[in-house]
Amino acid sequence: MTVFYELFDRHAHGEGLKAHATHYCPGCGHGLAHRYLADAIEALGIQDRTVAVSPVGCAVFLHYYFDVGNTQAAHGRAPAVAIGHKLANPDSVVISYQGDGDLASIGLAEIMHAAQMGLPISVIFINNANYAMTGGQMAPTTLMGMTTTTTPAGRTDFFGQPMKVAELMATLDGPVYVERVALYDNKQRMKAKKAIEKALRLQVEHKGFSFVEVLSECPVQLKLDPVASQTWVKDNMVPVFPLGVKKDTSKACEPRDWHKPSYDPELLLAKVGAHNEVPTRHAAAFPTHLDAHDVALKLAGAGGDGAQTAALLLTRAAINEGFDSTHIPSYGPESRGGTSYADVHIAADEVLSPSAPNPHILLAFNSPSLHKFGPKVRPGGVVLFDSTVVESEPEYAEGVRAYGVPFGQIALDLGAKVVKNIVALGALQAATGLFPADTFKVALEQALHDKCSMIPVNLQAFAAGADAVKAQLG
Amino acid sequence: MALDPKATKTEKPRPHLTEEFCKGCGRCVTACPKHCIELGDHIDPRSGLTPVTLDLEACSGCGLCFDACPEPFGLHPNDVEYEWEMSDPKEHFGPRPESSGPVADFIPDRKIPLPGDLQPLLIKGTYASAIGALVAGCRHFYGYPITPSTEGAELMAKVLPKLGGVFVQACSEVATVNHMYGAGGAGVRTMTFTSSPGLSLMLEGISYMVGAEVPGVFVNIMRGGPGLGNIGPAQSDIALVCRSLGHGNSHAITLAPADPQEMLDLTILAFDLAFHYRNPVVVLGDGYLGQVTGKVKLPDHLIEPGLPAWAVYGDEAHRRNLISSIELGEADLEQHNYAIQAKYNLMADREQRFDAFQCDDAEVLLVAANTPARMTKAAVQALRNHGVKAGLYRPVTLWPFPIDGLKPLLPKARRLVVVEASLGQLENELRLALSHAGVNHPDIEHVHHTGGVLPQIDEIVQAVLAEEAVG
Repeated sequence: MTVFYELFDRHAHGEGLKAHATHYCPGCGHGLAHRYLADAIEALGIQDRTVAVSPVGCAVFLHYYFDVGNTQAAHGRAPAVAIGHKLANPDSVVISYQGDGDLASIGLAEIMHAAQMGLPISVIFINNANYAMTGGQMAPTTLMGMTTTTTPAGRTDFFGQPMKVAELMATLDGPVYVERVALYDNKQRMKAKKAIEKALRLQVEHKGFSFVEVLSECPVQLKLDPVASQTWVKDNMVPVFPLGVKKDTSKACEPRDWHKPSYDPELLLAKVGAHNEVPTRHAAAFPTHLDAHDVALKLAGAGGDGAQTAALLLTRAAINEGFDSTHIPSYGPESRGGTSYADVHIAADEVLSPSAPNPHILLAFNSPSLHKFGPKVRPGGVVLFDSTVVESEPEYAEGVRAYGVPFGQIALDLGAKVVKNIVALGALQAATGLFPADTFKVALEQALHDKCSMIPVNLQAFAAGADAVKAQLG
Repeated sequence: MALDPKATKTEKPRPHLTEEFCKGCGRCVTACPKHCIELGDHIDPRSGLTPVTLDLEACSGCGLCFDACPEPFGLHPNDVEYEWEMSDPKEHFGPRPESSGPVADFIPDRKIPLPGDLQPLLIKGTYASAIGALVAGCRHFYGYPITPSTEGAELMAKVLPKLGGVFVQACSEVATVNHMYGAGGAGVRTMTFTSSPGLSLMLEGISYMVGAEVPGVFVNIMRGGPGLGNIGPAQSDIALVCRSLGHGNSHAITLAPADPQEMLDLTILAFDLAFHYRNPVVVLGDGYLGQVTGKVKLPDHLIEPGLPAWAVYGDEAHRRNLISSIELGEADLEQHNYAIQAKYNLMADREQRFDAFQCDDAEVLLVAANTPARMTKAAVQALRNHGVKAGLYRPVTLWPFPIDGLKPLLPKARRLVVVEASLGQLENELRLALSHAGVNHPDIEHVHHTGGVLPQIDEIVQAVLAEEAVG
């Protein structure tokens, strides 16, 4: 009896009879399920580490009675809450206690996914064929023809057939143990008691998800006396919801391993890529020949042209040199096969607006990008485009210098189509003098430290792009 | 209950009925093979119910009746002695028994130093926020993919398993917030990344967290709405988060970063605040903040979280604890709501945060948060070059709105201009705060956009200059 509080002080402050009586109606099956749960917790010696998650429904007040850790969950969400508890402390024994409206209607997604995930939690599912707490409405488990306040003429085909949850659970890979039990006579009660204890024991053994459906009497909503309710369950529910073990793979199931969270600073820093290697700087000063404080660049092309990667390299190069820099991609549908562009800012002190509607420098990988953004380049700015694919140029603002460089063809000639964005960066470096070429090399080597074999071809591509512009400069 | 097998034959307990706790359901009547129990015929005046009657002459002590009784204190073995008597426990325990309070000790957080010479990371806003959470000791992540916030979840999926942490891709945002309710209720640091429609789905759970006083961090990268809208940068959820964060008057401190560095810093702060107040905290960013890559410095320490005394952790020390938001008694719920309101008031007093740029002599005060504040800061510099004494007042907390920092600036301000990526949601927060503060202020003007369009520097400058007599 110790698993029940000696005094139900949460039940209306434990006043009068409520200190020792449940809120359940006479003959309700919840009381028995509570008792068997309490017996199982005691038998397994797990009271201190048990967490009971209660549903919305008649069992919402589970925490009035059970002297264990208690959490009251939102309607249908008890399995999700239980997973949160279990993963917070895998040594805890977590029980999700739910009714049929809670589990089989509003919470069907949560129970299905929790079951399939297969974490060792124990679910006790009370099926009494109606929404009892709200006054006897139709539940997913209401029998055909059964009268409820929302099926006043009896449940019809219009609402479909009753949901057979235990069978549904048994079709999933996740659960290790699924059984449906009942409470209508001594034999069934013994089986129910054993099933609940087994569901908890499997969790104690770290084995897996277990599920016990309990066919339960609701005399008040059935408008039958408690003893007649037992007969009703036996005669009417059992044919629709056959009793028995629906799945049991617990013998073959290996106990689960758990990991402890680490707060090792070295490990964390390594995993997020933090380090203290100071990159070599090559720039003597901020490129004030482009702008006094803040240089804006736009890199645009089709998805897969490498505009985003090139933009990130520019940002990395700028930060290596001690400046501030930002990169913002266009993202979403635009980047899947359509135009993709990136805005980059490089500022002496602080980047303010990260967007570049009127850039100093445009790098265009295709014709649509050049025609869309070329006219927006600031007077005196620089445009670079891939002459492999661009046939015509738009009108530019005054003083804009434009360079057509065959990024794609050069990359192809190098035998690596993917480096055309690096060809473009080489061209950009030569045409703008944004940073010294070595600044880009440092950034490239940093970016490719996991793919060292790719460094030579990238450096070649960079040099080839730069040479192509130098040839045009004469 | 290990019994000596030899002794059991003679010592099998027989049933004893505490009549006032018998509801007369009669399950024991059908359970008894010897027909010792019958339905009663007199009403117990204490319960108003009709307890069964026992005639134990034929009783074999089989015990089947115990397992048929749904009441914990109804039918029980006669060798069990209960020491209690019928009385009002208020006489013993006071209005709310102390035994329901926590008995565990607070286990404090531990600060672990990080090297001081780390190079800045070059990462996007969602990554910065995720790394902030890791540094703040979060090892329990739950989420559902939604652009433009998903990269944060992806980083967690990659890193958390290597740190012995938990990454769960939930079946929905509804499941996400309830996983967090469980994890936060167990006392661990938990978070999610989401975006506007996802946050809408989480609101019920957030309200439960507020009601049950469960901490958790929600990073909402706002997109253009309503409905599915688009994934462009917007401040479309300010009203949702500040005014209607779930049912039942739920509020949460709402932090508004403006760059990747603040995505990290404010996520770390969010965990501190969430546990300090036992309440959810929202980090509210626009789509740009989720995606923009920039320079981010790590702090000088990381946190190894302790365990709060109130947690339902699932161990002996925390066994008496309860995470629940249901209070059936009106007076009890009123008390609880007053307690929550007192927390809100405390947050409003202590947690207002803002950043003021060139505000000391500002005659034109521009108010902006998130990415639009960056454009506005640039506009302020441009306006200063035009000879306009402009300043940027940037709320870093949107709830509570940082009115205390604004008040002393108002006497000098001729103009108050709100710049935002929504059609007046930030302005409404400002107006409400000004109204509550009862202070005089200039007429409020605005420069705003919606649907994924951000206010640009030039248009802010032009909007201000249009009304200025500049030579």
